Amino acid sequence: MNSEPQLQIQALAHKDYKSAYKPVWCAGCGDFGVLNALTKALAAMELPPEQVALIAGIGCSSRLPAYTRAYGFHGVHGRALPVATGLAVSRPELAVIATGGDGDGFSIGGNHFLHACRRNVNLTYLVMDNAVYGMTKGQASPTTEADWTGSKLAPQGTHQQPFQPLEMALAAGAPFIARAFSNAPNELAHIITEAIQFPGFAFVQVLSPCITFRPEQMHWKKRVHEGFVPTADRREAFMALMDDDGFSTGIVYRAPRECYRPDTAKAVTLAEIAAGFEVVS
Amino acid sequence: MSPLDDLGTFLVHAVVLEDEAASRYDELADTMEVHHNDEVAALFRQMAAYSRLHLNEATAHAAEHAGGLPDLKPWEFDWPGTESPESGQAESSHYLMTPHHALRLALAAEESAHAFYAGIASHARCEQVRKLAAEFSAEEAEHAEALKEWLTRYPKPSRAWDEDLDPPAAGD
Repeated sequence: MNSEPQLQIQALAHKDYKSAYKPVWCAGCGDFGVLNALTKALAAMELPPEQVALIAGIGCSSRLPAYTRAYGFHGVHGRALPVATGLAVSRPELAVIATGGDGDGFSIGGNHFLHACRRNVNLTYLVMDNAVYGMTKGQASPTTEADWTGSKLAPQGTHQQPFQPLEMALAAGAPFIARAFSNAPNELAHIITEAIQFPGFAFVQVLSPCITFRPEQMHWKKRVHEGFVPTADRREAFMALMDDDGFSTGIVYRAPRECYRPDTAKAVTLAEIAAGFEVVS
Repeated sequence: MSPLDDLGTFLVHAVVLEDEAASRYDELADTMEVHHNDEVAALFRQMAAYSRLHLNEATAHAAEHAGGLPDLKPWEFDWPGTESPESGQAESSHYLMTPHHALRLALAAEESAHAFYAGIASHARCEQVRKLAAEFSAEEAEHAEALKEWLTRYPKPSRAWDEDLDPPAAGD
């Protein structure tokens, strides 16, 4: 018999969502905070791991599904959203969460991002944004500042305006848009909870510092601030984003609308599908 | 009135503070093992074990509390910062960090926990909360002193402590 004092409180249960695999992220990586926040959110919602599916593409942050006990799918670069979309429409009882980084989501998978926003399938998309390709060792990504000279591939900077994920999501029709910070895992857990509970496509940009290739991002802690006030008014949301300094956090837009759901009333057998592909001579 | 004036709420904070400290030390130990820094990994693992001893103490106090404990969501805790105060500055860890750096990180965490409890001990309206907070504050101060003594055996390393001629993550 265990002689240690036993006390059941909900806040201790988030560890139960972690797998036995040890993250291979760099020491101090912001993605640790996202993993902690996600497991806290799942525990707070008391969602059993078998009712959660985490879908990822390629990149440091896309390793996250392996570090949880939920169902996971580590797919092709930039293709987390198509896989998550298919799963969400075919298994609507699951909480489907796509995770990845800014390169995976806004460059390689940029087109999928736009259409996921407009299609509005019921899933959550967490993008760990560190404005750099970390896994391939420090190249500029779509969200990198135009004058960042830290990469030998662009020693004078990229001279390209960074992608604006929240503005793009709003313009493309995403009904839930938020930003959070990995070093504030409790607040991030709150936003993730709201995103998962939202009936539709919920996009969360998580500022997650890469301390290896962007060590200056350690100072994000001093720059991040609460700023967004949730609104269902698209014009107000755009105005808030026009005034945004890139470090405001919170839910900027939340306006439920009808989700895309394919017609599953007409069941089709495999034989019927195969018959459709028969070559008639 | 602060939410921490309620004894049950205070005890939940104490339990979660120690639990998250232990988890953070384990997380740091895991990271150091992954990066083959075994000496510092062992030190963090030891810190996690100490935190679990303190967790047991806090849990024992909580188990004696007749009124039951409130079920707080992570974002409903009344922490002075963005995380529980003894969680440490994980972002300041480094794969080549030395025992000196690890002890510094732990010392900052203990001092932060001490300040948290000391503040409650001096401001709480509930006498039981004040008494327990003063007790926990004194314990945290003891831990901080022990770490300072420990640090004398691990002086500040040379400036080249993070030099790696074959770094695992070199730039392009």
